[in-house]
Amino acid sequence: MVLNLAYGEMIAILSYFLYWLLTSQGLPLGLAILLMFVAGAGMGFLLERSFIRPLIGQPFLALLMMTLMLMFLFKGILVLIWGGESFSYDFAPGGIIEFAGVSVLPAPLWAFGAAIFIFLLLTLLFRYTKIGLAMRVVAADHAVSQSLGIKVKQIFSLSWVISGALAAICGILLGLVQMVTPEMGDIGLGKGLVVVLLGGMNSIPGALVGGLTLGVAEALGGFYWTDVREIVPWVLMLLILIVRPWGLFGERRIERI
Amino acid sequence: MAIVRTKTQWFLIALGLVFFVTLGLFLPDDWVVWLIMLGIYAIAVLGLHILTGLCGQFSMGQAAFMAVGAYTAAVLSSRYGLSPWATLPLAGLFAGLVGLIFATPALRIKGFYLVMSTIAAQFIIVWILKEWRTWTGGVFGIAVPAIEVGGRKLGLAGSYVGYWWLTLGLLVLILILAKNIQRTTTGRRFVAVRDNDLAAEVIGVNLFRTKLVAFFIGCFFAGIAGWLWAHFYTHITPDQFTFKDSLWFLGMIIVGGMGSTTGAIFGVTLIRLTDKTVDYLSQILSNAFPSLSTQVPFSLPLIVFALVVIFFILVEPRGLYHRFQRLQLYYRLHPFAY
Repeated sequence: MVLNLAYGEMIAILSYFLYWLLTSQGLPLGLAILLMFVAGAGMGFLLERSFIRPLIGQPFLALLMMTLMLMFLFKGILVLIWGGESFSYDFAPGGIIEFAGVSVLPAPLWAFGAAIFIFLLLTLLFRYTKIGLAMRVVAADHAVSQSLGIKVKQIFSLSWVISGALAAICGILLGLVQMVTPEMGDIGLGKGLVVVLLGGMNSIPGALVGGLTLGVAEALGGFYWTDVREIVPWVLMLLILIVRPWGLFGERRIERI
Repeated sequence: MAIVRTKTQWFLIALGLVFFVTLGLFLPDDWVVWLIMLGIYAIAVLGLHILTGLCGQFSMGQAAFMAVGAYTAAVLSSRYGLSPWATLPLAGLFAGLVGLIFATPALRIKGFYLVMSTIAAQFIIVWILKEWRTWTGGVFGIAVPAIEVGGRKLGLAGSYVGYWWLTLGLLVLILILAKNIQRTTTGRRFVAVRDNDLAAEVIGVNLFRTKLVAFFIGCFFAGIAGWLWAHFYTHITPDQFTFKDSLWFLGMIIVGGMGSTTGAIFGVTLIRLTDKTVDYLSQILSNAFPSLSTQVPFSLPLIVFALVVIFFILVEPRGLYHRFQRLQLYYRLHPFAY
């Protein structure tokens, strides 16, 4: 199990890459998105091969440090190539949609819909397909999966490729909801980590519930005093760590010597 | 066995001290500032060594505890007029106490989850420092009176070399303290908790108390480093103590070697040297590519630091000190293999 703290920065770099494809190369939208997808998957593959695979036997915290350093690396490359400039996508939808007395911007609505769709897709993947089941076995026990004939290293590569592709989707959606800025990767650490811990690290519905909880908590906190918004994720994380460290839907770790 | 055993070792230590003391007199100003920063970071990293290297509790909040020490010194000096020497132990004490507060989750969680709670500590502490405007001056920071010795000011306001001697003195004291802590019962308890905490509990080590003491000592050292920082710069803001700085400290002990004080010093020196080199490189690159000049100074340190630490994680996870020990072994045994 690897906790990839560099995910936010991966999303940021892919977003900037898409912007570069759209503006400097002048590619049509569909082709650019496809290329970005491929780039995301390729990036995941390369990362796994070069930086994660050599660390296979090592303690979890070594992997954590590696992903933190990758976060710095990506942030540095991002700022070096594209500087401090922020962009917004040309194809961002405008206007406001009104229904049930609430006015909503279309971009977050799209993002919400896409998130639900991806959650459903991932749940189906992990429950009903052979590959998904193989991934779950590998997450539980490497020795058992090898004795079942599953190639563990291949599954690692596949998981990273999938996560890279998802990062690409995330990059498009994030670029639509907010502007493409050098700081957009920071939410990976700030909010992504909190959501994953809230929901439980092994569980997809947990991530959904965690995300909604965090969103509601932030909105409530920010209602009375706007400065509290930035600290709500961290306080929530501290609370869940003290009260129920494995998250709302996670599995309790049983330790044996 | 004593730490310093032979007369030769005493002589070399004395020589080394004389070297470092006179070094400050002959180096240009920016290098003396580099040395002072080396000393300050070394003290903070020694704290992290006790917490992470000896006790195994990875802490990603060391910069925040440094901030607590710095702000304690600042507030006590400017609001209550306490002399800097009085605020020195108080800065360490407050930082240690705040460390204790964030160590209490250690009662219920361990390992990876404790790391996450130290990340939360980093952000929460800095946020509190930013929001508590009446006490800390918020984002604009707070001014700290400079230390005066015999009428001359030390630090940014006055003599750099004098401040270097102060830093060196404190560093030597803290180094002796850290090395001695390793050899006491408490130090052995730390190592037992790091190596296998279930087994340690079985033989009677009180896990919670040991982790609390480790946090207290680690954050005490961070507080002292913060005191030094505050009195050097004479004006501190919350933005000087970010998550990035906490990761810098962690990188330093990883690169230097996690279980030893000498490793911590090696790590600090190597990372500070690379930071200085990157500064020079940034200037050269900025002049060569003027269009990139705003971006290079920000991004290049991140990239080079990340590459250096990644290199050490992949190639030599036990750090520079391990390589140095292998070299010593080779030298001692040559031409034999064992």
